[in-house]
Amino acid sequence: MILHPGILSLLSGSLLTLLVMLIASGLGIRILLSWDASSSSEGQIILERKTWLVSTLVNYALGFQIFSAFLFIATAEDIHQLFVGAMCATGSLNANLVGWLVLLIKGILLFAAALWVILNRLDQRTEDCPLVRQKYFALLLLTPLVALDGYLQWRYFRGLQPEIITSCCGSLFSADGESVVSELAGMPARQAMLLFFSMTGTHLIVLSACLRFKATILRPLLFMTAVLMLFISLGAIISFISLYIYQMPSHHCPFDMLQSHYGYVGYPIYAALFIATLYGMLPGICQPLRQHESIEKEVDRIERNWLWFSLWATLIFLLISCWQMVFGSFTLLGY
Amino acid sequence: MSPLLTITNLNKIYHRHQPDEVIALRDISLKITAGEVVALTGPSGSGKTTLLSLLGCMSKPTSGSIQLRGRLVSKLPERFLAQIRRTSFGFVFQQYNLLRDVSVLENVMLPLYPSNQSFRVMKKTAGAVLERFELQKMMRKKVKQLSGGEQQRVAIARALVANPDIIIADEPTAHLDSNLSEILLGILANLNTEGKTIIIATHDPAIYQSPLIQRRVSLRHGEIVEDKNQ
Amino acid sequence: MRRQLKILEYTLSSLIRRKAKNFSLIVVYAFTIATLGSVLFLTHALKEEATGSLTEAPALTVQRISAGRHDLIPTHYTTTIKHLPGVKSVTPRVWGYYYDSLIKANLTLIGSNNPPAELLLLDGNLPENPQECAIGKGVADAFGPAIGDNLVLEDNEQKSNRFKITGIFQAESSLLTNDLVILPETTLRTFFSMDPEMATDLVVEVYNPREIKTLAKKIKYLLPDTRPISRDEILHTYDTLFNWRSGMMLAVAIAALISFCILAWDKATGISATEKQEIGILKALGWETADVLTAKFWEGLVLSLTSFLLGILAAWIHVFVFAAPALVPLLKGWSVLFPKFQLTPAIDFYQLFVLAFLTIGPYLVCTIIPSWKTAVTDPEQIMRG
Repeated sequence: MILHPGILSLLSGSLLTLLVMLIASGLGIRILLSWDASSSSEGQIILERKTWLVSTLVNYALGFQIFSAFLFIATAEDIHQLFVGAMCATGSLNANLVGWLVLLIKGILLFAAALWVILNRLDQRTEDCPLVRQKYFALLLLTPLVALDGYLQWRYFRGLQPEIITSCCGSLFSADGESVVSELAGMPARQAMLLFFSMTGTHLIVLSACLRFKATILRPLLFMTAVLMLFISLGAIISFISLYIYQMPSHHCPFDMLQSHYGYVGYPIYAALFIATLYGMLPGICQPLRQHESIEKEVDRIERNWLWFSLWATLIFLLISCWQMVFGSFTLLGY
Repeated sequence: MSPLLTITNLNKIYHRHQPDEVIALRDISLKITAGEVVALTGPSGSGKTTLLSLLGCMSKPTSGSIQLRGRLVSKLPERFLAQIRRTSFGFVFQQYNLLRDVSVLENVMLPLYPSNQSFRVMKKTAGAVLERFELQKMMRKKVKQLSGGEQQRVAIARALVANPDIIIADEPTAHLDSNLSEILLGILANLNTEGKTIIIATHDPAIYQSPLIQRRVSLRHGEIVEDKNQ
Repeated sequence: MRRQLKILEYTLSSLIRRKAKNFSLIVVYAFTIATLGSVLFLTHALKEEATGSLTEAPALTVQRISAGRHDLIPTHYTTTIKHLPGVKSVTPRVWGYYYDSLIKANLTLIGSNNPPAELLLLDGNLPENPQECAIGKGVADAFGPAIGDNLVLEDNEQKSNRFKITGIFQAESSLLTNDLVILPETTLRTFFSMDPEMATDLVVEVYNPREIKTLAKKIKYLLPDTRPISRDEILHTYDTLFNWRSGMMLAVAIAALISFCILAWDKATGISATEKQEIGILKALGWETADVLTAKFWEGLVLSLTSFLLGILAAWIHVFVFAAPALVPLLKGWSVLFPKFQLTPAIDFYQLFVLAFLTIGPYLVCTIIPSWKTAVTDPEQIMRG
């Protein structure tokens, strides 16, 4: 265990988020048990007001999660000096087994919480709130995830021993390792690029098709392309985008680009990818919810915005991540 | 002509199933047509204000239904009621309910904040309404610096700023002398000629006996005892 | 979006209207942030200073260990190490501590053959003749001499030695150079009555920094009575030390944060009758619960950011202008010669991020439930006056 200001604030932040989520779940259970949309009793009116408290609590928790995800990476970055041999956040995350798991859970949590917040908004815009039960049930699943995240984070930091000699990006992402990550790093740049560009291209085509046609098959398809694009893009960042950003042929670290040294370029890259994926997933997720007439009306009204968000975010993501590829002096292909 | 507001078998019970249960309204049915001027009269505690707040979508009935232009509003979630309040209703309260430390202009702009209007348009709209009531000179003044009659006019200006169809006024003359009451009646008459529906709760005979009032609904113990056109 | 901005505008004007009520909250909030901020800024600045001066430190230092203690090292070890492949150079160093009973402080005496490389900002020049010396700023201030004056030091036989001062270090950061006295190496050997065949430690420079670990292993194998220390090891020891210290202090300062949160909760719950009426009016005029919640969120954020800016400004002045009078005794500590200690202003976004996360988060959480209670004010009560 290292007593470090960043770790301290991450742990207290997680506790706070968990507290907020527990209050929200407590209210959620009461709403689940006694919600009766047809009643206009005082009890129902009070419950209706409580739903606003729950949404506010979850909104704040989501906000916290976003900042805490970045703080987590920044902290891993800051403490790498404590580990002999670690040269960036990757080294710190390798320091014990839980590091990468925490990051994964944080990623899942971000998507889950953001989806909850958006679907909650959608439901609140309808006159009959048909999703109340599903929403609060989902909330009860979200809370354990927050708890798990807090617990693993605690395990990770508690298990950190500054003396441990860790490998750093140099060895983890060097092409001769055996993990999935190094498989990605070792993938020939030309193939990786082909995969990446055809995937984002497919996503953009399906997006435009969704904007043009109302066909039901397109939405789930878009969901799939969005999810695939997320994973392939993350792979591409490790495989070749990072190389262009750092202008170094063997530096595959996905975190260094979040540092001031590289103009914080990682933040817009990851934010755009997150938004592109999230809004790409939404129309597909809402497809089964269209059985409720009021939701369908709302979805029809707002879906175009989602599609445009996803489209713009994808384009911005492509633009920023490939800027160096087109205009930089560094050349990767042709060796 | 289809009615603007229809209420059917309306009941409102406060603190239901509790020792301090109060039945405020009992089985009220009423239809109000667009352009009507209705006075709700009755002694205090007869349910005037409760009925007014139900008509104005400020609260929900315990049972029964309220329809506004054919849309069932009594079952809507609160956020839709708020939306209806700011688009369809203008309220003139007994205590004016102005923010005393805030300028006249800002007070009048209050109902426009939760809209998509730009700030500039909001100011223009509010300025135009203030001009109509000859308040433009004092729009930077704080409400607490104004006289009672001026405050009343600010309250009316605020009620009209979102251009609602229905004006709801609760004992509007309670704090006015007879002279100012006359002026108020004049304003209301003007609004009615513009096609606004006006619902006034009052026990001031100067109001409910005035020629402006077309219909008088009397309440007692939460029930309608008389409903007549005059 | 426009609606949000308009509500923000309303919030700002209502905050200004209630400035008296918010003033005390901002003062306490800013004070809490200043406390936490001072701890973070000070430890961070100290760490920067220490690591900054260490980057120029030798890649590998070899000490001799005798009876588990640091001992003088024979200079002939140099030859053994020099023959290892990958070694660029090996230099014996002569240095030691000197306690001056007059000013009651420890000085660090270093032989002039190998002064620390970061001492570039020098007034005057390094000693060249046997009876000359160069001193750190702290030493100059403590003894009061200038260039050309004499520094008097007593050796082991209690004999006074006079050294003419030829230079004073005016290093931008004085954490490590403050208590320094540089003497010609031979003079220093005589002063410490040290055998010419011995040195305090050996400094090893290598061609490839990646080989340091291997070299250290080899040295330990060939010369089992030595202890090689790499720069990285020193760096991470410093890091751990400073993190631990600031972590400890933060843990204490969090008590201040918690008490602030109680105050914030109390403030947010104790909503005045006028404010309650105001919200009621807004609701009656068609503001939705969500709009009031937005207004309350903006209110919290504006208060937080104002206090945050004031707080970090106060912390910055406290630490970098006044040299952290309230915290220094707790955090610094090894040498006594620290009176004129000036820190180089160093702030990074990470520190601010941590501070913001630590202070704004709890405040916002404290205000959620009270805000909601206000936001669901029943508009009907306004009808009843």
